[in-house]
Amino acid sequence: MKVLYSLLAACTLMLAACSDNKPVELYNTKAALPSSPKYNLDGLKVITSFVNKTKGTASTLYGNDLALKAAIEGNKIIAGNEIFTLVTWKQQEDDHWFGAKIPSDVESVEVVKTASSGNTVAVNYQQLNGKALDLKTDTSGQAERIKYILGQKPSVLP
Amino acid sequence: MRTNRKPLYQRKVFIIIMILFLGFVGIQFVRPDVPNPPVTGDLEVPADVKAIVQRACYDCHSNNTNLRWYDKIVPVYWGVASHIKDGRVDLNFSEWNKLAPADQKAKLWESINQIISGAMPLPSYTAVHTEAKVSPADLAVLKNYLASMVHSKPADTAAINAADKQYQHWEKNEPAITKLPTAANGIAYIPDYKNWQPISTTERFDNNTLRVIFGNDIAVKAIKENNIHPWPNGAIFAKVAWAQLQDKDGTTHTGEFKQVEYMIKDDKKYASTYGWGWARFKTPKMVPYGGANVLFTNECMNCHKPMAAEDFVFTQPIKH
Repeated sequence: MKVLYSLLAACTLMLAACSDNKPVELYNTKAALPSSPKYNLDGLKVITSFVNKTKGTASTLYGNDLALKAAIEGNKIIAGNEIFTLVTWKQQEDDHWFGAKIPSDVESVEVVKTASSGNTVAVNYQQLNGKALDLKTDTSGQAERIKYILGQKPSVLP
Repeated sequence: MRTNRKPLYQRKVFIIIMILFLGFVGIQFVRPDVPNPPVTGDLEVPADVKAIVQRACYDCHSNNTNLRWYDKIVPVYWGVASHIKDGRVDLNFSEWNKLAPADQKAKLWESINQIISGAMPLPSYTAVHTEAKVSPADLAVLKNYLASMVHSKPADTAAINAADKQYQHWEKNEPAITKLPTAANGIAYIPDYKNWQPISTTERFDNNTLRVIFGNDIAVKAIKENNIHPWPNGAIFAKVAWAQLQDKDGTTHTGEFKQVEYMIKDDKKYASTYGWGWARFKTPKMVPYGGANVLFTNECMNCHKPMAAEDFVFTQPIKH
């Protein structure tokens, strides 16, 4: 009987040793976007997603319905009330898949908003940098960034 | 009294042991056949890589199974035989030539990920066959070999044209598919996925795709409320894959749409498939993967099995 008990104990120990105790990382906490009144992704749809392998960044371009429609039409006409938001993250290796890269720390959030008054359409651009979402005050280069964002071809989503 | 009972008790034990022993000997003759069919085309990789794969995988994933005497003792042998049978169906390095080059590549990346996660070689197998264990040094050799197969270069004209053609077709917004294509397990293509929130993106350099993972309202709500372990019933993911289209300045865009894959959580309805309904639809025509064969879900499950602790989900959602 003693032998039986010790065998049972040994088996229990062995099973316990085999159980997997690695911590489970459910979220990609590094890439989390801080909530802020400076931008809002709620209700926005994906226009496209791209990566830059030289810079090691991953970006997703979001837009409201009007922005998505305009982007599919090639942004030939800029109308009012369009919202484009380009989020760019640094990349990191995917712990769950050797062969994949996933977003890491947020690098920037760029927001393009259009507003029409009369016959003119004003295009507003804001760049928020880093996890703190610091507003970039230097306005040089804005025209290029607007052109770049509006020039993105949407991803085929059938 | 006591001395009278003891021999009787001892005899009972003796009889029981004898019955058990005879039973044990008897079942030795119940032996499933484990043949080694001919090798049609063996895995071709550098010698150092091959040596590791042979040592760690070939007993169950090739036609060159090397059974040790202790593998042949029933009932252990029954388990061994069924592992070999299943193992060869999933992956057989001796019939490597039967796979298309892209599938060969995908199998190698899947295999290394199974090794990294500790799912393969089966821990119960390496516990006895210690020589089959993959050491960190072995793993480095395998990783280096696979990494050396990754080449990133600007897209060629053919890839650009294919993407353009598909885009023009899609952009015209032609009438939506009226009858939804349905996979063999009854899961139909869900066209609304594109209006869901993206929960993450992936650059897959193993197979040159870009991916966006969308979550339906239930999934997004669960993410916000930290209620994803396990995921609630009704949560659905849609993972979309496109071919990579790299331009000259290093930006890689989404090219041709390849497929959309769904995971639908329902721990009762899909209890037999880890609590998830699985489906994949290929090309903009949404051709169900697996055709009429419902066994395609085994492929989904085998690949996701190492993520059991994460409720079988690879994606780590990004909160916002």
